[in-house]
Amino acid sequence: MGPLSVNELISANTNLFLAFIIGIGFGFVLEQSGFSSSRKLAGVFYGYDTVVLKVFFTAAITAMLGLLFFSLFGWIDLNLIYVNPTYLTSAIVGGMIMGAGFIIGGYCPGTSFCGASIGKIDAFVFIGGLFIGILIFALGYKIWDGMYLAKFLGFPKISQTIGLSDGVFAFLLIIVALSMFRVAEWAEKKFPREEY
Amino acid sequence: MKPLRLLALFIIPMGLIIAAVPQNKTKPYKLTADQLLGEANTRTQYITPETVADMIIKKDPSFQLIDVRNKDDFEKFSLPGAINIPVADLLSDKFTDILNQDVKMNIFYSNGTITANEAWMVTRQLGYKNNLVLEGGLNYWFDVILNPQKPASTSPDEEFAKYDFRLSAGKALGGGMAVQSNQNQSTESAKPALQSAPKKKKAAGGC
Repeated sequence: MGPLSVNELISANTNLFLAFIIGIGFGFVLEQSGFSSSRKLAGVFYGYDTVVLKVFFTAAITAMLGLLFFSLFGWIDLNLIYVNPTYLTSAIVGGMIMGAGFIIGGYCPGTSFCGASIGKIDAFVFIGGLFIGILIFALGYKIWDGMYLAKFLGFPKISQTIGLSDGVFAFLLIIVALSMFRVAEWAEKKFPREEY
Repeated sequence: MKPLRLLALFIIPMGLIIAAVPQNKTKPYKLTADQLLGEANTRTQYITPETVADMIIKKDPSFQLIDVRNKDDFEKFSLPGAINIPVADLLSDKFTDILNQDVKMNIFYSNGTITANEAWMVTRQLGYKNNLVLEGGLNYWFDVILNPQKPASTSPDEEFAKYDFRLSAGKALGGGMAVQSNQNQSTESAKPALQSAPKKKKAAGGC
C-alpha cells in the first residue's frame, strides 16, 4: 500500500500539501515545547536541559516502531522508503560543524525559524548566519567537492551493516534510548541552572 | 508514575514484539511480464544526458557508467569513467557484484538505446536494482552534449537555459571533437562555469 506518493495513491501536489500541514504541526510542536529558546538547545551540551534530546529521540523511536509495525501489517513497503545517501567524510565534518553551530548559536535550522516566527532577534541573526554559510559552501564548492563527495557508501542501514534484523536493532535502539534518557535526567540534576 | 517509566512500560514490549516477529519480505523477487511492460512503457529506466553530464563533471561517486557495446567499440570511444560489460557477457559471474548491488547507480549505454535496454531488461528481470539506461544512447549524447544546436530565437527561456548547460557541459567533456578517440579526455580538462541542471532529489529531513 504505502508509501502513498511513491505508489501514486496520492498526487505529488497532495503530497506537498500534506507535507505543508505536517510542517506546520512540526513547527507548532517545536514552539510549544520551548525549542524557540536558544537556551534549550545549548542546554543539551551543558547538561542542564535535555528536553531536545528526549523529544527527538522519542520521535525517532516512535517513528521507527511505527514503520516496522506498518511493514509487519503490510501497510508500507520499506524498500520504497527513501534512505539518505551516506558520504562518510562529509557526514562527520558536517556533523561537527552543525554541532558546533548548535552550541554557539543555540538553534538548529528548524528551531531558528521557529524562534524567528515569534520574533526572537537571536533567531534572525542565526538565520543570517545560515545563509552566509550556504553562500560560502555554494561559491566554494570547487574547493571542497572532493571532500564533500568522499567515501560514498551508498544507502546503508545500520542494521544491515552490523548484520542484525531491523526488529532486533530497533529493540536495542529502544534500550539505548531509554538508558540515555536516564543519563539525561541524571545530568539535569547534576548540572542545574536557574530557571529562565 | 514518572513519564520515563511510563514510556519504558509501553515501548519496551513493543520493541520486544518487533524484534521477535520475522521481517516482512513478501516483495516478489521477479517482476511479472505486466509489471516489466509497465515500467518500460513509463520509461522509468531512462536518465537524461544532462543529468549524466552533470554527474560526470561533479565527479559524483554515486554512479557507474557501463558501456554495453563490444570491446572494440569501447576502446574507440567511451564516456569518462565508464567500464565495459559487453551485453553478451552480462550474465558472467565476474560482473554480478557490479550489477547486483544497492550502492551505486549503474547507467547502461550503447550507441542507440536498444542494446542498453536489453541489458536493463535482463538485469531488471533478475531483480537487480539501481540499473538505468542513458536516454538516446551515445548518438543522442553527441547531438545534445558535444554538438548542441542553438534553439530558435523564439524558443522559451528553458530551451536556452538547457542549451547553455549543454554547451558548457560539452566543453568540459571535450565537445567539438566528437567521435575522435578521446578516451583520456576526462573531467581533468578545464571546467568552465557550469550551471547545474536541476537534479530531482527527494527532500532530506532534519530538525
